[in-house]
Amino acid sequence: MQRTTHRPRLLTRPGVVALAAAVALTAGACAKSEDDASKDTQSPAAAGAEQKVVTPKPGSKTCAIDAYGAEKLDLKNATVGFSQSEKEANPFRIAETRSIRDEAKKRGVKLLTANAQSQFSKQISDVQDLLAKGADLLVIAPLNSDGWDPVLQAAAAKKVPIVTIDRKINATACKDYVSFIASDFVEQGRRAADQMIEATGGKGEVAILLGSAGNNVTTERTKGFKERIAEKAPELKVVFEQTGDFAREKGQQVTEQLIQSKPGIKGIYAENDEMGLGAVAALKGAGKKAGDVKIVTVDGTRNAVQGIVDGWISGVIESNPRFGPLAFQTLETFTKGEEVPQDVIIQDSAYAADNAKSEISKAY
Amino acid sequence: MAEATLRTVPLDKARVLQWLQTYGVYAGVAALLVVNTVITPHFLSAENFRTQAVQVAPVIIVALGMALVIGTEGVDLSVGAVMALAASVTALYLGYGLLPALLVVALFAAAVGLANGALVALVGVQPIVATLALMVGGRGLALVLLPQLEDLRNPSLASLGSGDVLGIPYLILIAAVLAVLVAFVVRRTTFGRQLLAIGDSRPAAQLAGLPVRRVLIIVYVVCALLAAVAGVLATARLQASDPTSLGNLMELSAITAVVVGGTPLTGGRVNIAGTVAGAVLIQLLTATLIKHDLPPSWTQIAQAIVIVAAVYAARGRGKR
Repeated sequence: MQRTTHRPRLLTRPGVVALAAAVALTAGACAKSEDDASKDTQSPAAAGAEQKVVTPKPGSKTCAIDAYGAEKLDLKNATVGFSQSEKEANPFRIAETRSIRDEAKKRGVKLLTANAQSQFSKQISDVQDLLAKGADLLVIAPLNSDGWDPVLQAAAAKKVPIVTIDRKINATACKDYVSFIASDFVEQGRRAADQMIEATGGKGEVAILLGSAGNNVTTERTKGFKERIAEKAPELKVVFEQTGDFAREKGQQVTEQLIQSKPGIKGIYAENDEMGLGAVAALKGAGKKAGDVKIVTVDGTRNAVQGIVDGWISGVIESNPRFGPLAFQTLETFTKGEEVPQDVIIQDSAYAADNAKSEISKAY
Repeated sequence: MAEATLRTVPLDKARVLQWLQTYGVYAGVAALLVVNTVITPHFLSAENFRTQAVQVAPVIIVALGMALVIGTEGVDLSVGAVMALAASVTALYLGYGLLPALLVVALFAAAVGLANGALVALVGVQPIVATLALMVGGRGLALVLLPQLEDLRNPSLASLGSGDVLGIPYLILIAAVLAVLVAFVVRRTTFGRQLLAIGDSRPAAQLAGLPVRRVLIIVYVVCALLAAVAGVLATARLQASDPTSLGNLMELSAITAVVVGGTPLTGGRVNIAGTVAGAVLIQLLTATLIKHDLPPSWTQIAQAIVIVAAVYAARGRGKR
């Protein structure tokens, strides 16, 4: 489902200082806000599903308002502009936008939103529009990493601080933008490998359903998975790597070819939930039983977690799309004049047989 | 010696190219079958042939409509969008039962086909431009109707996607019946001859008093309906409606199947058997590369080579 690139390039292992505590404090209120959101959507309460930050590393870079050159303001009276990259056509984007909206509502902050519909030129003009409409602060989910100069100059001229979420832009932190908040995709791959090793017993042949080619999410989720397999379970062999383009139908078709040419396959690592669900459809169609082939996926959508409950999927590594609380907390801390980390890496959770049933309400 | 070779080459080449255009696609399919039997483990099995046939069935169905359109010297880029639209509409109306949903799907598809046909036949817009508009607009509409993938749990739809008669899946039966039907229309009916005459020369067909506009509009409507059938079948097989990615690049797969199958883009001739074989050829090629775990980019390059070879052979025929 997540066909196009929507995830960031992680260049550095980040660290976090003041944020972790601040976020922990807002956690309770956050869950409440998502309760409210659930009334008009299908998604039920997502208590405990808020993003958490990984343990900060000492010496990680921070950013303060003086160094950035902006002016202090009270977030409550500010207008925040949010530029979304892709249309809300997949669970990740839907949950991401909803989280930003909910958090703005909860804090009583005026929010302006725009959606670039996967067109980068539109995103550039979207952000310029947001600035023209009087946004004091910007939250951007960038479609591309490059090409942001015109926007950055316009924002700098107005001294508008920018936080980017889920994808990094190629620019200087604390000069062109304040902070970048995202998951660590290599780590997601490693954790998927851990689940695969556990599910298969660390022996046999496994396949990878790759995401779209040329996408950093694909590259990083593959890298982490292979690294961890090589390091921890050398007897587990990756014998098949084909792209499923992050789409369910393609995942189904590729898996159908796979299970016929390699009937002895023990496990399938799908780099997103949709391809994993496609693999489940293929296995069902071939008359396999739940658990015959171990499937591990990344994302944490409700359908995939339900797949664990039903026994078809062994594990799901979450990629948490709920950026609202962290993004607004970062902006609040920053505009108060305190330091914020330049890179904020999210601690993603995971689902397996032991917690899928009890925690499915956290899935998006 | 060298001179003799030079003199005989042009003649031989023309003959080879002509043979290639007519039978090349079958030779290609046969070659891939033989090669796979030798090098691909578990290739010679009923399940494998079933998988390949089921996967290629929607492509064949779309390609049938595309062949008709190309026969009129047109092209229809909106088929993938129509598949997505069919998926969305199926999901929306499935609550009323499968048949009512299929009727609404047919209405939507006919509307798209009508719009395409009207733009081409009445307004005189180039087919590539007219259908490009519907390609973009159709998928947009599909996403407005159903913004994200939706799982479908309807027993009749599920059995349409995975059921069979005497071991032959419905998908394959439907594709086969439609192929025979379309081939019959092209070869044995007045409509078929009119279609080819228009593709040969639209002004001549007009002067001869053929109902050019009506035939063109019907052809585009039929093409859209076939794409909708493919969209419903793919949705039934997936048991989910996925308007975001269903039918993506299907227009290219269909055009490839038609061209590789020996139907010239210049219109006036339609080769249905070749179109089916063309779709099967691409399917087997893709399957071979996937089964041997070759990099996905190779599949695209291999397809490109097949297309260039087919177009080259067609060029030889045109010069004859």
